[in-house]
Amino acid sequence: MYNSLTRIQNVFGFFTTVAFVVSAIIAASDFTAPRTPSASIKPTNVQVVKGRPHYYSSKKEEYAIIKFSLDADMSSLFTWNTKQLFVYVTAEWPSTPSGDGTNQTNKAVIWDSIITSPSSDHLANLGPATLKKLRKSAAGKSIDPSRGKLSLKNQRPKYQITHPSGKVANTEDVTLHVHYNVQPWVGMLTWNQDVDFALWKRMARGISNAFALPTVSAKKK
Amino acid sequence: MADQLLEQVRDVVDGQIDFQGQKLAEILATVLLSVVGAISFLVGFFLQDIALALKIGLGGTALTFLAIVPPWPFFNQHPVKWLPVGGSSISSSHQNIVIDEKMLVAR
Repeated sequence: MYNSLTRIQNVFGFFTTVAFVVSAIIAASDFTAPRTPSASIKPTNVQVVKGRPHYYSSKKEEYAIIKFSLDADMSSLFTWNTKQLFVYVTAEWPSTPSGDGTNQTNKAVIWDSIITSPSSDHLANLGPATLKKLRKSAAGKSIDPSRGKLSLKNQRPKYQITHPSGKVANTEDVTLHVHYNVQPWVGMLTWNQDVDFALWKRMARGISNAFALPTVSAKKK
Repeated sequence: MADQLLEQVRDVVDGQIDFQGQKLAEILATVLLSVVGAISFLVGFFLQDIALALKIGLGGTALTFLAIVPPWPFFNQHPVKWLPVGGSSISSSHQNIVIDEKMLVAR
């Protein structure tokens, strides 16, 4: 503290300590916010088509196109420390005993979405007009839990799925699962839980009834 | 003239403060930064606004820098009183010390 330089060093050094401690407390404050997400999902239209992994491939594979309806309430996941929420839907089915047997379950993402918090709208990968609309929807709000309410009707999947064997038709016991991933400003990433943890409850429902993939449809992909 | 000017600039940049001032600066820096951190968290938590918390934290830190770093007059309220060189028994003719061809006359 003798001259200006040592004072700069001292103040900056203690500032980094304060910044670290405050960040740690912010991260810990997440545990004070209850998480009670719920979701219901059901497949609405399932078809399997033949296709090629890319244009010049001679290999023909079967692709499942699973349309679905999703109603989800993720609003409790939006707190002041939430930067964005990643919501994704997977199709899962057990591996057949006659198959290679190395995969206990097969799991593939068919749809996903990034939901930004108003504090991170500037990071959203959107065009200027859509971004303006998004900003307007949360004008004056620092958090907007209503963005966590999803309602999709007969949604087309983003990704058509297949299997390493190239065969997915007639698969039994396929279920759709809703997952989420909370990405905070400071702290750890958290995914949907299988068990309750203090104020954080596991997702209510979020798994569809089992269904079977149909045989390959004649419709060309 | 240029030497004197340079000397003044050097003093301002160096910004030395006295011992009491150093203690005060130490305490002030610790308290100010801690209080700013606490306010920034509490405001952010209760208003649920992380951008506001960040602004308060950084703004408060900037103000702390402004309060601590320059050699403000209140850091120089207790200048050190040095004892006279050699005591009074030595005649004044021996107290003239020549360093680097500059005459420093002890008071």
